[in-house]
Amino acid sequence: MADAAVASPVPRRAVRTAAIARAAGRAGAVVAVMLALVGLWELYRWIWSSAGWTWPFVVDSTSMPHVWTILKAFGQPAQVNQPALINILLHKSLFTAKEAVVGFGLGAVIGFAIGVVLVHSRLLQRGFLPYIVGSQTIPILAIAPMVVVWVNPKLPGPFQGWGAVAVIAAYLTFFPVAINTLRGLQSADPRALELMRSYAASRWTVLWKLRVPSSLPYVFSAFRLAATASIVGAIIGELPSGLQSGLGGAILNFNQYYSLEPQELWATNIVAAALGILFFSVVVLLEKAVVRRAPENVA
Amino acid sequence: MSGLIVTPSVGRRAARRAGDWVPAAVVFVLAIVVWEGAISAFHIQQFLLPRPSDIVSTFWTNRHTLWPAGWTTFKEALGGFAFGSLGGVLVATVVGRFRVVGNALMPIAIAANAVPIIAFAPIANAWFNPLSSTSKMAIAGVLCFLPVMVNTMRGLQSADPRQIELMRSYAASELEIWRRVRVPTALPYLFTALKVASVLAMIGAIVAEYFGGAFNALGVLIRSDAQILDFQTAWAGILVASLLGLALYGAVVLAERLVVRWTPATREA
Repeated sequence: MADAAVASPVPRRAVRTAAIARAAGRAGAVVAVMLALVGLWELYRWIWSSAGWTWPFVVDSTSMPHVWTILKAFGQPAQVNQPALINILLHKSLFTAKEAVVGFGLGAVIGFAIGVVLVHSRLLQRGFLPYIVGSQTIPILAIAPMVVVWVNPKLPGPFQGWGAVAVIAAYLTFFPVAINTLRGLQSADPRALELMRSYAASRWTVLWKLRVPSSLPYVFSAFRLAATASIVGAIIGELPSGLQSGLGGAILNFNQYYSLEPQELWATNIVAAALGILFFSVVVLLEKAVVRRAPENVA
Repeated sequence: MSGLIVTPSVGRRAARRAGDWVPAAVVFVLAIVVWEGAISAFHIQQFLLPRPSDIVSTFWTNRHTLWPAGWTTFKEALGGFAFGSLGGVLVATVVGRFRVVGNALMPIAIAANAVPIIAFAPIANAWFNPLSSTSKMAIAGVLCFLPVMVNTMRGLQSADPRQIELMRSYAASELEIWRRVRVPTALPYLFTALKVASVLAMIGAIVAEYFGGAFNALGVLIRSDAQILDFQTAWAGILVASLLGLALYGAVVLAERLVVRWTPATREA
């Protein structure tokens, strides 16, 4: 986009106006989608409850609270003498975001390192790749209690309590990064590889000058998956560790009162969804800033 | 390599295939040995990390509770996988026909994919009977639906325009183009998503069970064992979950090998 702006004789102001118009269009689309979702929700609710249909589930104010009930719940305290729910949820999502960011960083570094090591040895690939894939079939929620008991006592002060959750988030994050880094490093043009070899370039030079740049689109597409995975990992990790300060703890807590106050669980889940989308968008923006070339077949 | 050997004998091919698996087997044996050794050497307490041999023997003594529980969970995962993937393929096929709709829907699907859907497991439990398997299937299904839909849509749109033009110049019908060009190009994308979905389905079912489920389900079993610090049985349950997850994943890989024969890219993953 920037190149086009430089090359074309269109005055800068026009370009900027066009950019603003595009951004406004996109914001409008987001609002339209939200309104459509709200409309669908209320329409579904209305049809099912007025027709008395009970399939696939009974529609009432417990299973599907009105949108305005949920919105109102944001502004009210969940318990007496507490700040409004939205304040509490923002605090909790900040906590969960902290776990997710640390887990994302840890997982991204480990995943990238695994990719770099594996690309240099066919033998190691054959030895370890099946287990890297297999590691994801272990239900992470199931090992979370063990990880918490295991990791927490070994952590330094500032990480006490939530460090184990970050480790769980990293466990979900490292996998897509490792697989895509490997694929991306392998995607370097073989002719360029040959050329560098013919100049007797060292492995290190080949790695940094050729392999890593050509892997970036793949790595970033893994980061997009990993952004979501790290939020999922942080929320799941909080469940068995008994942490009350994050969104996972809030979900567990409000789940117990669902039959009385369903709107509070819904509000929490909306915040969790927003956090996931926000994290994803940050990675996409970073990607736009760093990667100029689109990969052809990154799944 | 294979270009040089014109017709490899069956024996040689078998030997090469075995050679592919030797390093993995060596790593497996080494990992078990290191695991066992580390526990003895560093006196790691039983409740933190049991020995592999203990986990296997616990698994064997509890096999009459673990397998049925695993089967319950597996059925939920399988049901969710089937419904979610089928729904994803159907929606992508219908929507993919209309490029405008597809382009409008893609960002929404991608945003929905960034939502931690597992957080909605308690709501699914509240919608359906928490003791039934429907609520778990629903979560597993939604988890599978999104990646399958996004990838199928992408795959259907990624057909080489030159191939489509060639087909059109031969006066091929849209259906024929779809069958002979679009579907074959989309299949590798579909299978990539199905592999992801197979893992997600199992995890989705287990996490949904964590928020409440029939007692003879794997997620409930692992949770209650971990709560009473019976980590040995919890690990045995994890072993069952992983084996079943691997089985589902392996079935998808096998299906991919049978169906997608023409792209060399599928051999890497």
